[in-house]
Amino acid sequence: MDLTRILQVLFSGLIIGGIYALIAVGLNMIYGTMRLLNIAHGEVIMLGAYVTFWLYTLYGISPLVSVVAVMGLSAALGALICRWIFFPVISTSKSVAVLESNSLLIFYGLSIIFTNISSLLWTTDARGYSYLTEVVHVLGVPLMKNRLWALGLSFFVCVFFYVLLQKTMLGKAIRALIQDKDASLLVGVNPDAIYYFSFSMSFALAGLAGCLLSMFYEMTPFMGMPYTITAFIVIVLGGLGNVLGSLLGGILLGLVETVGVSLTSPGWRPILSYALFILIIVLRPRGIFGKGVY
Amino acid sequence: MLELLRISKIFGGVQALVDVDFNVKKGEIAGLIGANGAGKTTLFSVITGFHAPTAGSVHFKGENVTGWKPYEICRKGLVRTFQVVRPFPRMTVLRNVAIGKLYGKVRLRDEKRAEREAYEILEFVGLVHKAHVAAAGLTMADRKRLELARSLATEPELLLLDEVLAGLTPAETVEAMNLVREINQRLGITIFMVEHVMKAVVGLCDRIMALHYGCKIAEGTPREIAGNPAVIEAYLGEELEI
Amino acid sequence: MVSRRGLVTGPFGIALLVLALLPRWTSDYHVSVVLDVLMWVAVTESWIILSGYTGYISLGHSAFFGLGAYIMAMTWPQLPFLLGIVLAGVLSSVFALTIGLVVFRVRGPYFVILTLGLTEFILHVVVNLEIKLGGTVGRILMSAPSLATLYYAMLATAAAAVVTAYVVKNSRFGAGLFSLKEDEKAASALGVNTTLQKWAAYGISAFFPGVVGAIMALRHSYIDPYNAFDPMVSFQVIVMAFLGGMEEVEGAVVGAVLLTLVSEALWASYPYYYMIILGVIMIVTVKFMPLGLVAPFKGRLLARAADGSGAGA
Repeated sequence: MDLTRILQVLFSGLIIGGIYALIAVGLNMIYGTMRLLNIAHGEVIMLGAYVTFWLYTLYGISPLVSVVAVMGLSAALGALICRWIFFPVISTSKSVAVLESNSLLIFYGLSIIFTNISSLLWTTDARGYSYLTEVVHVLGVPLMKNRLWALGLSFFVCVFFYVLLQKTMLGKAIRALIQDKDASLLVGVNPDAIYYFSFSMSFALAGLAGCLLSMFYEMTPFMGMPYTITAFIVIVLGGLGNVLGSLLGGILLGLVETVGVSLTSPGWRPILSYALFILIIVLRPRGIFGKGVY
Repeated sequence: MLELLRISKIFGGVQALVDVDFNVKKGEIAGLIGANGAGKTTLFSVITGFHAPTAGSVHFKGENVTGWKPYEICRKGLVRTFQVVRPFPRMTVLRNVAIGKLYGKVRLRDEKRAEREAYEILEFVGLVHKAHVAAAGLTMADRKRLELARSLATEPELLLLDEVLAGLTPAETVEAMNLVREINQRLGITIFMVEHVMKAVVGLCDRIMALHYGCKIAEGTPREIAGNPAVIEAYLGEELEI
Repeated sequence: MVSRRGLVTGPFGIALLVLALLPRWTSDYHVSVVLDVLMWVAVTESWIILSGYTGYISLGHSAFFGLGAYIMAMTWPQLPFLLGIVLAGVLSSVFALTIGLVVFRVRGPYFVILTLGLTEFILHVVVNLEIKLGGTVGRILMSAPSLATLYYAMLATAAAAVVTAYVVKNSRFGAGLFSLKEDEKAASALGVNTTLQKWAAYGISAFFPGVVGAIMALRHSYIDPYNAFDPMVSFQVIVMAFLGGMEEVEGAVVGAVLLTLVSEALWASYPYYYMIILGVIMIVTVKFMPLGLVAPFKGRLLARAADGSGAGA
């Protein structure tokens, strides 16, 4: 295997890994702050992809521009769902276990609703578009511009997020809430505000991921679930509730998958990621980074 | 009956317990005191299998039970109550206690018999009138009774009580103390209790161990402990406020 | 005063009798509709034994359904019908118990995540295997047994599932399951081997979908991985269980019957609307009727029946 080939595989891994990181960070935020498993996460990605597609196909708006609108719409959707569906459930749930299972089922219901609404509106035929497919050579490796943009954007957002979590008051409040809810309430953290932010941010990141993915993959109403599963695998890898861990975990999984697939075949991708998941549960249930990396 | 040999426990960089040695003799009531965060509940968790010690061993009735699962230790006759009570909220009081009969040391197969024996235990602790109430609807004092009743249902030989008197009014405290004494003297159950209420510790315990930042700083009879300078300084503070 | 047992076995026995005589009275069309309902009852009931009684929500129950279908596809017609379907159920349980060894050692969220991915995972393994072994995906099963035979097999399976759910709920094992659902830590402090209990419930709950999958493979005379491992099956089961009441034995029956009625009306012409409505039902039920339909009624019925005996809930 020559160097170009290796670099190509590595770049592919980083590109998809960056997107996995975006998806996983969002998912982990909701899990970390509210202990809710958002099974509908993949469907938000799917919706983001479709909105980007239609904006480009119907109005010629570049994905790199519509990404802002997509993120905004997704964030709004997240805030709405937080306010109208989850706040009522949280206040009426008698115990944490009940809240977790009820919210799980609600998210499940939402995922089905989203999938079928989009099947209804846009049919189940696969859709796609071409954008920025000119090839550029980086370190001798041929890469399409759209993928470079995806790589750049996802890393930029990840770094932005890292800085947000580490350096700002908001970020510290979020981390405090994840670490110890009662203690953070005592020091004046406003949980409702954080919950809104978590939901919105989570959905926005999913929308962003969908927008980026739409540039180089076809979309169907059913594309969401595999990404949800992948996102969950990543957050387990990085440690449940460890937002920064999921950032690193996403990149790691992207690399592992791409390398693994290059050695076997594309059909093996889910098998590989699932096997990795089982391995982590058995060997290091706290994730590679556990709850330590903040 | 219970031997703790050099128990140490480290939680991610924090040393919660350091080389704790202690014995609890059969039939006695032993006490464990210490400031909040001294490691008392951690010690209980280690003894009952909820955490494995980083070092040291736990021996119960001559057998090394270190690292056993909680349910295994329970079936051997060592049971704990929780500092923050954990009733089965949607089950009735009777059912809560019956679970102890079905799964504790005896592991009765017959549900009817389990309920009958559970009923007797409720009589003993004074909860019969609430037998068919869902546990979630109980007052704090009754929840503590339930916690006690449930543990008794498993037919323990050694009962670990974690701050069973916390949150009770003075009248309730006296009742609870009498109950603990009854359990020890009438039922012959050895007791090891964590307590903050000094009156109770002094009034009930035959021997006491004092923990401070995870280390044992004193051991002895209530009188010896009360007069121990290390205990006074660490636990009672310079203000000598009893 | 009617005994509690009487309230249960009476209607159950009558229903069984009626269902057993059904093929004599009605057309093939009606028989096949009832067969479908019985299928959902069986799978939903098995889901309740696990997720309703322990609180561990399994999102991938269709994995066992698909496994059962494939085991039948591989053993038909070499093995006789009855042996084939029982084997499908048994192997399905064995599979569940094997994964269970891994999953039940860790916390709740892992279980959900694992079951979510399970169906997808098996789907891909099967697709890859089929391509490697046969070049094509999907199999045909020839000379399937008659509709009546399949109907009676499904009836027996559904009845067995209902009986099992009832027996488990009222046994010591069931008490242990519910106690760990209420508070796992407290339960283990009282001597409940929570890991073993969950594991056993998982194994039991995988048996019936396996059998059902095998029967349905013959029913359609054709299987392919995308139908066998259809995540919509998992979803419908959960909605049915939740609508009926996920801790109630009757919940599976009520949920299955109600939802089959809705799907009969919508599925053929408006499959997407059907699914959207299911999703809405799910959310509405969680918000307003988290105990499902059966539980509130049962409470009142039992209270009336027990009147005078002094025994409360």
